[in-house]
Amino acid sequence: MIPGPCPGDFFNFAPMKRGSLTSIIVYSIVAAVLIILGVVVFNALVPEPPLPEVEQARAAIVRARDLQSEVYSPKLFREAKNNYDSAMAIWQSENDRFILARDYERVISFAELAEKKAEDAQRNTISRSKSLKNTLESEIARLNREMASFEKIFLSMPLPQDVKKKHARGKLLIKEAGIDYKKERYVDGNVKITEANEYISGTYNLARKNLDDYFKHYTDWQEWATETINQSRKAGTYAILVEKIPAQLHLYYGGKKKYTFEAEFGSNWLGDKRSRGDMATPEGKYMVTKKLSGGSTKYHKALMINYPNKVDVQEFNERIRNGQLPVDASIGDLIEIHGDGGKGGNWTQGCVAIKNSDMDILFKYVSKGTPVTIIGSTLTLEEFFSSREK
Amino acid sequence: MKNRIFLAIATVAVAALMASCAKVPQEALDAAKAALETAKTAQTDVYFPAEFAGLNDSLTVMLQNIETQKSKSAKDFKAIKVAADGIALKAAELSGNVEAKKAEVKAEAETLMAGAKTLLDEAKALLLKAPKGKEGKAVVEEMKNELTVLETSLTDTQVLFDGGSNYMEVVDKVKAATEGINGIIAELKAAMEKAGIKI
Repeated sequence: MIPGPCPGDFFNFAPMKRGSLTSIIVYSIVAAVLIILGVVVFNALVPEPPLPEVEQARAAIVRARDLQSEVYSPKLFREAKNNYDSAMAIWQSENDRFILARDYERVISFAELAEKKAEDAQRNTISRSKSLKNTLESEIARLNREMASFEKIFLSMPLPQDVKKKHARGKLLIKEAGIDYKKERYVDGNVKITEANEYISGTYNLARKNLDDYFKHYTDWQEWATETINQSRKAGTYAILVEKIPAQLHLYYGGKKKYTFEAEFGSNWLGDKRSRGDMATPEGKYMVTKKLSGGSTKYHKALMINYPNKVDVQEFNERIRNGQLPVDASIGDLIEIHGDGGKGGNWTQGCVAIKNSDMDILFKYVSKGTPVTIIGSTLTLEEFFSSREK
Repeated sequence: MKNRIFLAIATVAVAALMASCAKVPQEALDAAKAALETAKTAQTDVYFPAEFAGLNDSLTVMLQNIETQKSKSAKDFKAIKVAADGIALKAAELSGNVEAKKAEVKAEAETLMAGAKTLLDEAKALLLKAPKGKEGKAVVEEMKNELTVLETSLTDTQVLFDGGSNYMEVVDKVKAATEGINGIIAELKAAMEKAGIKI
């Protein structure tokens, strides 16, 4: 039997001979080379971490966020973030696996998708914010014009208090939207301007509709005014024509306008009087029934008219029958043209008020039986609007 | 000799093994996340939005770097620990500054609100002296309506202020109301001057 090394001899270090030292050095070098080779091969087999792709996605998301994509392109931005989160979650789970068994393909795929979505969000944000900015700018300008127009035309109209409050609320919202515009918060600004539009346009449209409905009686007014002036001309007498728009009282003599005075009416003056207490000034053809002065009137001087006339009574009864008025409603009376006007508003309970100095003149010329015609306007609706716009 | 060489190889192997098994600085990472949460609760995102976003970015980058290190055979989390500590420190610093900033904005809101209330009283007083010419009463009525709306808005703002959730919003709202009141005062003063009424 040939003697040879026994198993375990490699680890039997002592005593050493010269030959075995050489062997150890050779073994060591081989082992070191093998280890280095092993490390190199191992490292070559370890998959590259998907950092560049993930980092690009993150950077794209940051750019989108800085552009406020969360606000302007929330869906795309959310999708970008979700894809990024998925990439990170898969990366984490891959890292939990054995190093050589890791596969980062799905991480890369989600990261690339996240980057794409973030870039889409950026593009969309730029175009949307620009468009929202333009919309906000033009809407603020439009509503400011509409608001100014409303105030010119309808400010003195007897609109319900809540309508006027809504208009004021709209005005405040326009100011708030203006602050958002300055601070480049276009989404918030557009939300406010949309709300403002509901108030401003809503109140404008309502007021416009009221006025349109009111002017449907224009033909009647024109007819009454013409008849009254003709009657004055033919008879060579005085006649009174009261226009609610513009608020004026004209005194005619022989068919010619002799005086024009500013007039004030009931607070709910837009429309015909329907019943007692409605604060409306009646419209129709009347005449002076009584002249009051001294202690017989509290308004300096007064000219009582024959309200309700036959037409008023007919219309009142019709409204009761139609259920437009409650059965216990009463028609009202004691409508006058009186003094104490010039207060700058419509404050009477249905009478026509003029200044005391104007009343003195009127009182001098007018007698019992003088025709008094009260109409909405001699202007057409278009003429009225253009006069207000001026 | 043989013994020493073996020991050296073993040391290298163990070192390599240890390097590959370096641990994520979980404690520092958790501390950074918690500090950011605290900063958010303190409304850093409201009062220092850019700084807060920057810190969140740093955290995201750090999480990426953790995964990058975990992906490697030889891991090194030293830089990550430093980054996590930095985030925690900066977040805590920001949280600390929020109170001062909040107090500053709160004081601004308070001043603006007090100013708006004074202006509102001034506008109300001027309304009483307003000229009542043709349509004057209607204009005064309109202004009264506007002042009522502005007063309501200021009351709402007071509620928002008392809630203390966002003083920035309070400042914006009061500024809009102040602009409105100033507009009315200017209109009234111009009308009074025209009518020769002493203000």
